[in-house]
Amino acid sequence: MKVTFHGVRGSIPSPGPETVRYGGNTSCVSVVTAEGDLLILDSGTGIIGLGRQMMREAFGKGQGHAAILLSHAHWDHIQGFPFFAPIFVPGNTFTVFGNARSPTVLESILEGQVNPHFSPLYTIRNLGAAFELQPMAGAGQAHRYRKVNLLTGENPHGHATCLAYRIEQHGRSVVYAPDAGYPPEGPSEEIVALYEGSDLLIHDATYTPEDRALRIARGYSSYADAAQAAVRARVKRLALFHHDQDYTDDQLDESHRRCRDLLNQQGGQDIELVIAREGLTIEI
Amino acid sequence: MKVRFWGVRGSFPVPGTGSMRYGGNTSCVEVRAGDCDSPDGTRLILDAGTGLRRLGKELMQGSFGEGRGKAHLLVSHTHWDHIQGLPFFAPLYQTGNKFHVYARQRDDTHLRTVFALQSDNPYFPVPFDAAAADLEFAELSDDAQFAIGPVSVRCTRLNHPWIAIAFRLDFEGASVAYVTDTAPFRDILIEQKFIRQPPKPGDPLQPDDAAKLKEMRDGVVRLCEGAQLVIYDTQFTPQEYAQRPHWGHSCPDDAIEIATEAGAQALMLFHHAPERTDEQLDALLDQHRAEIAKSGKRLAIHAAYEGLEVDLSRGGVGEIPLVPSVPVRSGTAIPSNPPQKPLQRSAPKESP
Repeated sequence: MKVTFHGVRGSIPSPGPETVRYGGNTSCVSVVTAEGDLLILDSGTGIIGLGRQMMREAFGKGQGHAAILLSHAHWDHIQGFPFFAPIFVPGNTFTVFGNARSPTVLESILEGQVNPHFSPLYTIRNLGAAFELQPMAGAGQAHRYRKVNLLTGENPHGHATCLAYRIEQHGRSVVYAPDAGYPPEGPSEEIVALYEGSDLLIHDATYTPEDRALRIARGYSSYADAAQAAVRARVKRLALFHHDQDYTDDQLDESHRRCRDLLNQQGGQDIELVIAREGLTIEI
Repeated sequence: MKVRFWGVRGSFPVPGTGSMRYGGNTSCVEVRAGDCDSPDGTRLILDAGTGLRRLGKELMQGSFGEGRGKAHLLVSHTHWDHIQGLPFFAPLYQTGNKFHVYARQRDDTHLRTVFALQSDNPYFPVPFDAAAADLEFAELSDDAQFAIGPVSVRCTRLNHPWIAIAFRLDFEGASVAYVTDTAPFRDILIEQKFIRQPPKPGDPLQPDDAAKLKEMRDGVVRLCEGAQLVIYDTQFTPQEYAQRPHWGHSCPDDAIEIATEAGAQALMLFHHAPERTDEQLDALLDQHRAEIAKSGKRLAIHAAYEGLEVDLSRGGVGEIPLVPSVPVRSGTAIPSNPPQKPLQRSAPKESP
C-alpha cells in the first residue's frame, strides 16, 4: 500500500509562508492498494489537489472509481468535496463511507454543504459522478471493499465522536485516527485493539501537551497522546497528523523532536516517527 | 477611511508556495472610518472568508479582547468563501462585543438561520447560539441605502448564483465600492435557478433577461460613480469565463469597463482564482496596466494582496506599494500561537 498526505491541518486551512513546508490544507490522505484501488481518507481542502492529479488519469475520462472514507462531518474533514474535480465528470463512481446509521444520513451530510445558500452546486444530484453511500455505524464495523478489509473504531471528540479506520491488505495495515480526544485514562482497550501492530498509525496530534491542557474540551490529542497510543498498540510507524492551524513549521519541527524523546522514554524506541506533511508518501 | 485586505481569494483557501505573496485566504476586507482605537471610529468588515480569522486575532489584542468591541459585518452573499471564517472569529466568543451583520434578505428563511446552519451539528462543534457576543442581523433589499454611524452605505444587485449584492461606503468625502461576486451583465442572467446548460457568450438574450441585466449593470455603474477605489471580482481569464459564464465571475476587462464608465479613480482586482499563482497575478496586473496606459484611460489599477492597506482619507488612493517580493504576514505581528497562559475565570468561550 502507498499512503500519501494531501492535507494535514485541523480546523481551518491556514495559508501563509509560515505553514508552507508542512502545508496548510485540511485533512486528506490517500491510500493506493497493491491492485491500484484508491481509498481517500477524508475530504478536507487537501482533496482538491489530489483531484487535480486524478483528472490526469482515468477520472479525467469518467472511468475512475474510488472510495471516500469520512471520519466525521466537521468542516475541516469535508470542505474540499465541492471543489474535488472528479465529482463533476459523468462516469466516475465513488463509494462514500461515513459514520451514519443509514445512507440518508450520509447523503444529508453531503447535501448540506452544497445547499444553494452556500454553494452554486445546489444538490449532489447535479454532480456528474455517481455515489454509493455506505454507512458505517460506529465502532466494530467490518466491511470488505474490493481487495481490502475495512474495520472501524470510534473515538470521543468533544461533544461528538470520530470514526477511526483500519485498512488491511496482505497482512499489512494502515490506521487513520484523526480527532481523538481521549479521556484522562487514555485510549480505550477497543481502540488500542484497532491500532494494534499496524504498519502505520496516522494519529491526531493537533496540540502540544501544554496547549491541549488549556483546551481539553475541544476533543483533540497532543503528540504525547499519540505517542502513548502508539506505544500501547505497538505500532511500527506513527505519523503525527491534523496540526493546529496556528502552529508554524518551526513549531512542528520542535513537536517532532519532543515526540521522538517521549517515544524513546516510553519504550517506543523502535517506533518510526514521521510528521505528516503535504506530499509525503509512505510505502507499506 | 482606510481599507485593509485580509483575504483576497475566491472559491476556497489556497495554502502553498504559489500563493505566498498575494495570500491564500478567502474574501475579507476591513474598512475603518475614523479612529477605530477610539469610540468615535466605525469599523466595517466586508465578507467573512478565512481572512477574518486573522483579523479576529488582531482585534482580540485591543478592545475586542476586553469585550468592548463593536463592528459591522457586511456580507455580499453567503457562499462558503464569504462566510467560512466566521466560526473562527475569536471576538464572536467574547461576551460584551457587539456585531451587526448585514446581508441580502432571503425569500425562504431568515438570515440568522442561514448563518447558524454553518455552525450546526454535524458540521461544527460550537453552535451559533454559543457565540457570546451580541449579534444583530439586518436583512437588506437589493437597493438598500442606510447609514452606519457616519458612514453611508448603498447596495446594488449583482449577477451571481443565489444573488449577491455590492456595497458602496462613503465617509467624509472618501469612497469605496465592493463589487463581488458578479458575472458581467451581457451574456447570461444568473438568479436563483440552477443553470444546467449555460448559453454561449454572445448568444442572443431573452428580452426580459436583457432588460434585467441592463438595469443591474446601470446599478453597478451608479454605485461605482466617481469612487476613489473600486474592489471588483476578477476571478476569471476570458478563456475561463467562456467555459463558465454561469459561475458568476468577471474578468479584469469587465471591471475596467465598469470602473472607467463610472469615472472611478482606482480599481483593485480581487477574488483571485484559487489556481492563479503569484507570478500569474504579477503578469496579469502588468498586462492590464500596459493596456490601460496605451488606451489613455485615467484609471489606476492594482491587485489586492493580504496585508495591503489603502488610505482613502487624503483623496485618491495614494501610493500603493507593490506586492512584496518576499512573503510577508498580513497585518501587524500576530503571535503565531495563542499565548500559553492559563484560562482566566472570565476567559472567552474559545472558537474551535
